[in-house]
Amino acid sequence: MARVNILIAGVGGQGIITAGKMIAEAGNYSNTKVLIAETHGLAQRGGGVNIHVRIGEVNSPLIPLGKADYLVGLEATEVLRNLNYASRKHTTIIINNYVMRPVLPKVKLLSLQEVLDKLKGCNVHVIDANQIAVKAGNIKAANAAILGFLYSLGAFEGLINEESFIKALKYESNIKAFKIAQAIKINGIDINGI
Amino acid sequence: MIELSTTKRVILGNEAIAFGALSAGVSIATGYPGTPSTEIIETLMKYGKIYAEWSTNEKVAFETAYGAAINGAFALTAMKHVGLNVAADPLMSSSYTGVEGALVIVSADDPSMWSSQNEQDNRYYGLHALIPVIEPYDPQSAHDLTVEAFKLSNKVKHPVILRSTTRIGHIRGPVELKPPSKPVLGSLIKNPRRYVLVPENARRNRVEQLKRWEKIEEEVENLNELIDNDSENLIIASGISFGYVIDAIKELEIKTNVLRLSTPVPIPKRLILDAVSNSKRVLIVEEGEPIVEYQVKDLLYDQGVRVELHGKDLVSRVGEMTLDKIYYAFSKFFGLDLVSEYLEIPQDIPPRPPALCPGCPHRNSFIDLKKAITMASFKPNETFISGDIGCYTLGFLPPFDAQDSSTDMGSSIGIANGVYRSTGNIPIAVIGDSTFFHSGISALVNAVYNQTPMLVFVLDNRSTAMTGQQPSPSKEIDIGEVAKGLGVKYVKYVDPFDVNSSIKELSNALKWVKDNKQPAVVIAKRACALLVMDNVEEDNLPKAIVDLEKCTGCSICYDYFTCPAIIPRKDKKAEIDNYTCIGCGACVPVCPFKAISLKGNKPEKWDELWLG
Repeated sequence: MARVNILIAGVGGQGIITAGKMIAEAGNYSNTKVLIAETHGLAQRGGGVNIHVRIGEVNSPLIPLGKADYLVGLEATEVLRNLNYASRKHTTIIINNYVMRPVLPKVKLLSLQEVLDKLKGCNVHVIDANQIAVKAGNIKAANAAILGFLYSLGAFEGLINEESFIKALKYESNIKAFKIAQAIKINGIDINGI
Repeated sequence: MIELSTTKRVILGNEAIAFGALSAGVSIATGYPGTPSTEIIETLMKYGKIYAEWSTNEKVAFETAYGAAINGAFALTAMKHVGLNVAADPLMSSSYTGVEGALVIVSADDPSMWSSQNEQDNRYYGLHALIPVIEPYDPQSAHDLTVEAFKLSNKVKHPVILRSTTRIGHIRGPVELKPPSKPVLGSLIKNPRRYVLVPENARRNRVEQLKRWEKIEEEVENLNELIDNDSENLIIASGISFGYVIDAIKELEIKTNVLRLSTPVPIPKRLILDAVSNSKRVLIVEEGEPIVEYQVKDLLYDQGVRVELHGKDLVSRVGEMTLDKIYYAFSKFFGLDLVSEYLEIPQDIPPRPPALCPGCPHRNSFIDLKKAITMASFKPNETFISGDIGCYTLGFLPPFDAQDSSTDMGSSIGIANGVYRSTGNIPIAVIGDSTFFHSGISALVNAVYNQTPMLVFVLDNRSTAMTGQQPSPSKEIDIGEVAKGLGVKYVKYVDPFDVNSSIKELSNALKWVKDNKQPAVVIAKRACALLVMDNVEEDNLPKAIVDLEKCTGCSICYDYFTCPAIIPRKDKKAEIDNYTCIGCGACVPVCPFKAISLKGNKPEKWDELWLG
């Protein structure tokens, strides 16, 4: 059956739930069923957050282990925390080039390189979504940049079209970030297959 | 903005429930905020032209809705699963009296405990109270079954529980909305023989209750559906499990009959008996407890039906339903070889628990409290700090390590009573303003009445902040005056940002408790930072700046104060993340080297918003 599973992870406050909303609305404009499972409550405040996005012929909200077609990290370390939704063969991993310190004393951070080292042999793309968002005029548009990049990878092919995304993204800076991120893929600037 | 006139919308399950209630004619809605239930009342407040309120606690919310329903209104009350424990007292009796209009009780359960202290399965309340439980399986059914719940309640004149879970209330999907109906209000009905539960009346009600229950058993038959695929296998799937079962049988191309169960309590006996009689093997798939399984086994025993039946022996009793759990159950039940391949999560990832927000007054309150404990010559490892439910529960995390217990709303003061009685150590109860009014107040009455020495430290941030800044009674009622009215002799107020004077006040209060062997109350008053931010222009805020000449890299500001807006540089000196800093100034007195200062002007009404 035609369906796509996307797991988007990051830190509460990065606009992850908003990213889910934008996909769900875009799906509605394209007449495609989208189910988004969100984490609310305490996790909103600087904690790890993820959403399960299931598009197409789906009846249940959660992605099974290893069955994410795309695993997206709006923060690099959060990709690792959700790695059990990915499989080496099957999953494309997209990492925002951004590491955020947890609000705990004396924590040793993983560098982006250390994160990437743990993903050897996986299909990984790294993009600088924050910089794209700043270029688009609003740091909050990093989530829209990620959606643009996913779109250019063909994640929504046959399910949600570009026009629907433009409608769902609403704000000019979101649309701009979406488009810049698409262009980045075309120009091949992303680091692929480390 | 959701236009009710346009039909298909992508909305949250909780919004779907709210719109379902409007379509059914709800006129009175009550609740106490709690994840994952909060958006139901929020949506009704926003879009419904009806009376909707945040009540002091779930018991009051229940009684308010019940009071409306016994006078003919269509009423809804919504709470999280543990909230229904608070309302359990009137819940049990409401089943004896029944109602006149309609009463729908939404219980939002949280399997896997995404933001809760336990994962109790509230379908048990249905069995316990003899109240039918209706369980949706996706946002659309949440909408449609809310309408059915009102219809059933009104038809049978009995309360109905609509049981949702995190993955019903907090999933977003397409929903065809039914148009709203005219709200059904009541008119005064005086019927003391039914509603005054003195034993004589209650005994009569008990008989009536069981008669209604028989009628309910008939009515629920039509709310469920058998999908007959001409198979000898039958899967009975309750609530959210139905969607998972459908996805799994499509994916794995399995031939089986499926019974979609939307009424786990009571089960539709006729439908189940027919379906089971035509099957050789039965698998019951339900999240949480074996509630349907117990009832089905009971039914089959009574009817003398012997069949191979599986349930919790194959489907996990821990945590929420997932496709992986279904795959495991199917691999055993259908004898399939289903090995899923997935990557392991590396062990060495730094944890990322949620944190207090930049500008949160609780961060200072904990720092002030810990210093006061030492200053009052109390030994930190011999001072029990009983915590409560709210943002400040995060005070259990390092660097504060300042909560030794936290079990339920209002528990801090109640537990402190017992800590003193058992140990003789003077405890500190930390409680929020909303929690204080929710049920802390009666525990404080107990402390005064029984003369229990404790320091009650109320963190009054003027809102129910954890669930999204819902208003709290503290906006109207001064907690200090309440405490004085209850007979507390020592009541003080502090501004947690005024570090030195807060430490001194708290330390004095602790000494007073020790000398006088009575409870004392100190109220830390400063607004929730998110609430303040809602009322100022975000572009126009002052910002903290670090003087790198003065900064020694001592790490106090980011390792012991832990404001998310203060970040260590490579050389260990501090820098401010301008994007996250809100210019509250809490960090300024924290730096022992006076390296942090505020730049920029305060927005209009800045101080009033924080302290008003």
